[in-house]
Amino acid sequence: MSSLVGFLSLVFAIGINFYLFLSRYIFKFQKQKFNLFIRFSSLLTLLSFFSLMYAYVVSDFSNYNVFQNSHSNKPLIYKISGTWGNHEGSMLLWLSILSIFSFFFSFTKNIEDNFQKLTLIIQAFLHILFGLFIVFTSNPFLVNSILVNEGLGLNPILQDPGLAVHPPILYAGYVGYSIVFSIAIAGLFQNTDDEWLYVAKKWSLISWTFLTGGIALGSYWAYYELGWGGWWFWDPVENISLMPWIAGLALVHSLMMVRGEQAIKKWIVFLSILCFSLSVFGTFLVRSGILTSVHSFAADASRGIFILLIFFIVTGFGFLVFLLKEPKKSNALNLLFINKVSALVINNILMIIATLTILLGTIYPIIIEVLYNKRISVGGPYFNSTVIPIMIPGFLLMSIAPILSWQTNKINNSKKYVLAFIILSILVLIQSYFMDFNTWGFVGLLLGFWIILASIIAIFSSYKIKINFKFFKIINPHVAHIGVGIAIVGITCSSVFKNELDFNLNEGDKFNVNGKTVLFEKIETTNEINFQSLRGKFLFDIEKNQSKEIEAGKNYYPVSKMITSEAGILHQWNKDIYFILGDQKNNEWFVKVLINPFVSFIWLGVIIMMYSGLIAVSRR
Amino acid sequence: MKLSHFYKFLHIIILSFVFFTFKIFAVENIDERVKKLTLELRCMTCQNQSIYDSDAEFSNDIKKIVKRKLLEGKSERDIKIFLVERYGEYILFRPLMNYNNIFLWSFPFILLIIGLFFVLIKTKTRKG
Repeated sequence: MSSLVGFLSLVFAIGINFYLFLSRYIFKFQKQKFNLFIRFSSLLTLLSFFSLMYAYVVSDFSNYNVFQNSHSNKPLIYKISGTWGNHEGSMLLWLSILSIFSFFFSFTKNIEDNFQKLTLIIQAFLHILFGLFIVFTSNPFLVNSILVNEGLGLNPILQDPGLAVHPPILYAGYVGYSIVFSIAIAGLFQNTDDEWLYVAKKWSLISWTFLTGGIALGSYWAYYELGWGGWWFWDPVENISLMPWIAGLALVHSLMMVRGEQAIKKWIVFLSILCFSLSVFGTFLVRSGILTSVHSFAADASRGIFILLIFFIVTGFGFLVFLLKEPKKSNALNLLFINKVSALVINNILMIIATLTILLGTIYPIIIEVLYNKRISVGGPYFNSTVIPIMIPGFLLMSIAPILSWQTNKINNSKKYVLAFIILSILVLIQSYFMDFNTWGFVGLLLGFWIILASIIAIFSSYKIKINFKFFKIINPHVAHIGVGIAIVGITCSSVFKNELDFNLNEGDKFNVNGKTVLFEKIETTNEINFQSLRGKFLFDIEKNQSKEIEAGKNYYPVSKMITSEAGILHQWNKDIYFILGDQKNNEWFVKVLINPFVSFIWLGVIIMMYSGLIAVSRR
Repeated sequence: MKLSHFYKFLHIIILSFVFFTFKIFAVENIDERVKKLTLELRCMTCQNQSIYDSDAEFSNDIKKIVKRKLLEGKSERDIKIFLVERYGEYILFRPLMNYNNIFLWSFPFILLIIGLFFVLIKTKTRKG
């Protein structure tokens, strides 16, 4: 029943969007009515989504999709998240988020009526494309042809709270760029004033913030769930999310130039189209199953071809309009060595080079396989030795970029910065002299701390310190950059200064980690609702009274016959101690302990970046 | 002080550090060499894990092979070529720098040079 409601409302919503799309040419109607229709179609799409969710919650196995991906004895949260834990459901989620964005956009004020209408018509066009894709190739409402009373279960690796919220937030980022895309195209058609640039800026900041959160959640999940102690693998799917993120970052920065009256509209429109194209392209790569990764649920050629078609329509349409309706020539850029404009231009160039490099590295194995029928890998080492060096000048520049002037290349208080840099370099050098020297460690620490330090100096020497919202808006660029600096320190420390210890232990053994005694208490097996768990219990720092208990082990999911590793992590502010329980051999358990210094700084940095993304939305 | 002076400073500092740091490139011990190499190899039986990070049987075998060959005095490149002959190029996370992959490896730096030229051409040295 709920499946029927879901399917009908999905189709009906597509119909309304079709009607709205034609309204530009055939049936004209007023803004009020138009907006009502848009909102109505959004609600219908959401109704469709929630009826699928309902089918999951009540374990309605007459729905084929629920049968394939759910099981009645799963905890409720994974029944809900199971809605998007599969291809069909996740595409419906994609469409729902698209319509939520249209819904909110229809309420935007301070925007010209015709412009808003045109933007929403382009949204309607996108809704039709993705809606048809769902109906024809990925319908989540198919009826199960056999009568069953139990489902096949959700991939255990997806049964995790972090992964339950990761897809919606990530998709909010991806799909948010659809609005930016539509605004940019509408801006090309109706080239009246520059007002749309401000609107585009708000929406691109919102998308970027969501995308940041989604990526961070994904990598945090990888950190504690995949059980190898890393959080970023340069896996193709990670790369795919990183590309629109970097391009979106470039977009947000070039939209800053609007304020400096240096609008480079052409470039902004280009980036807007690029961001959404990369989002759709990413969806194509993941959903077509071309890439081997944990993320490709099911490979199906017809879906891949359909999405590839959508990709060509969207990108082709976007760039065609871009070429035909080129924005009016904006005034020449005031590029000096080095002022704010040239800093922003250099940063944009570097970000685009990074994006294109990631793109090449990600699709290169596919190209080689097609051309030479040979499988190769392009993995972390390639990206580490191309993308990171390219970004280093950008990182160096961003430390001082916010205080550069738009017009001249003078910089206030430059002596302070030079002095601070020298002192900092000496400190980092002393640090690396006493630790094992590592070039990357040295460069990363110097860059990270320099960005933090320079931003703090800039805040204190350029503005009067006040505690009110306006002040936080003014210093927001510096705060964002401090976040990046903190994240760089975290990334550097956790990847370069990571320490690894291997043990073979019996129950009751004591061993030494980082000068603290750890007791391997016992092994415990329990039966949970939908899995069996095996846990090694460790007591950390037993000499103290408040010793901490750590559990590391594995889960076995009988429904899907899979084993997942569950790392035990002890979080301290300056390091994570990460326990992995290995296999038992000759009555001894293999235990691996990783000491990851300053990992928490990565997440702290990301939270600061997201915070300032949100603050920037409210800043014109 | 002008910004250009600041950048000269920066150069001097960075260069002097680079020279200073050369003394620290000491001899790595065998385990570190194994780690460095196996981090760049794919565990063929796992999903997206390096051989170093994985405890699968396949990975443990390769770790032993790598260690033995390093002790025999084989170079990293020899070992990579040996593994590629056995398992194909898929095992290497860092694609070989050879004629076939010339585009892959040169692309970012070609873009960088183009970008650099663009900025240099468009930049005015004086205000005006």
